[in-house]
Amino acid sequence: MHLSDDDIVRSISDHSPEGIEALYDRYGGLAHTVALRILSDRGAAEDVVQESFLAVWRRGSTFQPGRGSLRSWICTIVRNRAIDRLRGDRHRTRLDTPIEGESVEPAVTDPWVAVALELSGEEVRKALAELPPEQRQTIELAYYGGYTQSEIATAMEVPLGTVKGRVRIALDKLRASLADRLETPWQTQ
Amino acid sequence: MADAMSHEEAIDLLALDAVGALEASDREIVARHLANCATCTHAAAEYADLASLLPAALELVPPPARLRRRLMAQVYAEASASPALPWWRRLFAAIPAGRAFTAVGAVAVVAAIALGIWAVVERSASPAPVAYTVSGTTATGTLAVGTTGTQAVLTVKGLATLPTSKVYEVWLIPPTGSPKGVAFLSPGVGGGAWTAVVPGSLAGYKTIAATVEPAGGSRTPSNIVVLSGQLGGS
Repeated sequence: MHLSDDDIVRSISDHSPEGIEALYDRYGGLAHTVALRILSDRGAAEDVVQESFLAVWRRGSTFQPGRGSLRSWICTIVRNRAIDRLRGDRHRTRLDTPIEGESVEPAVTDPWVAVALELSGEEVRKALAELPPEQRQTIELAYYGGYTQSEIATAMEVPLGTVKGRVRIALDKLRASLADRLETPWQTQ
Repeated sequence: MADAMSHEEAIDLLALDAVGALEASDREIVARHLANCATCTHAAAEYADLASLLPAALELVPPPARLRRRLMAQVYAEASASPALPWWRRLFAAIPAGRAFTAVGAVAVVAAIALGIWAVVERSASPAPVAYTVSGTTATGTLAVGTTGTQAVLTVKGLATLPTSKVYEVWLIPPTGSPKGVAFLSPGVGGGAWTAVVPGSLAGYKTIAATVEPAGGSRTPSNIVVLSGQLGGS
């Protein structure tokens, strides 16, 4: 049975384990990918994903539809936790956990969602590739590196205003590039 | 305090916030502006959605199966122990997803199969129902197959009570290939026999077994086999 994101949110709000299961099956792969990209450590990435979904389970849904999609909400939760961990671990030695021959399974079990994610992945890759390198690096340092505006300015040796401008222009270009191809809320505005 | 920020200034900060680059000192300023500006609240949602698409450019790295098991075992364990839930919700929370029909269905199907057996005896025309014996170190039981052959009920005595973090999972095992988890045994009222509805046909399977698994079940059976029985050839 295909559950919509609204169905999943309702289920989580009802404190139903099935809601978390559905949320994980739809976005667990994305969450794991984000955590792994940020932390470069399989064990730590798994811990962060588990902590994030457990936090959603324990708190219930704090998702507000007016503030973005369910996808962006869970991405933000996972990213923030991964960045917190990254910042906490910067002064520690990281130990990589072996996979122990564990089988993997796609987290996205709904074929339609899998296709949609694959399509958007290809489009996003193209859109990112079209950005000037300095704009792409700026948003990657921020999103995956956890660097703030001033830290990026220092690292890239540019004024604060330049960082601000690069981020906004990069996102605006991404929006323009993707709006033609993807069915997203901003198309209607 | 007055909000002196223009939309232009706010939009710059919202873009930074979406990718996580907003300085802590600017957070309160942005929050104050958003509280009174629907336009920028909408823009914030757009930027958040855009930023959430960034990971789509990465090659998806599927999580290991153990992560799902670990997460759901914890969720089900907490759900079954939660005093905030009414008793009927806790009962269903204790039963892994997708198989919640087991507890309620067991009673109904036992009755239905019994009725089916009665009908067979009375009419002496349909195929006879089949029962297989299952056993383990301490447990014994029966797998009663309905006359249609598409449903069966496993009834077991002699199983120990498990902590809430564990379940007895029932598996159908083909001659070759992977075992298929099909049901969970539910304890009878007052320490009676454990039961599970085994849905679907048994055709193609050689063995039925039950193992101890974390709450939420497993993708593959553990080595803790509490009972097993051979199917077919009766």
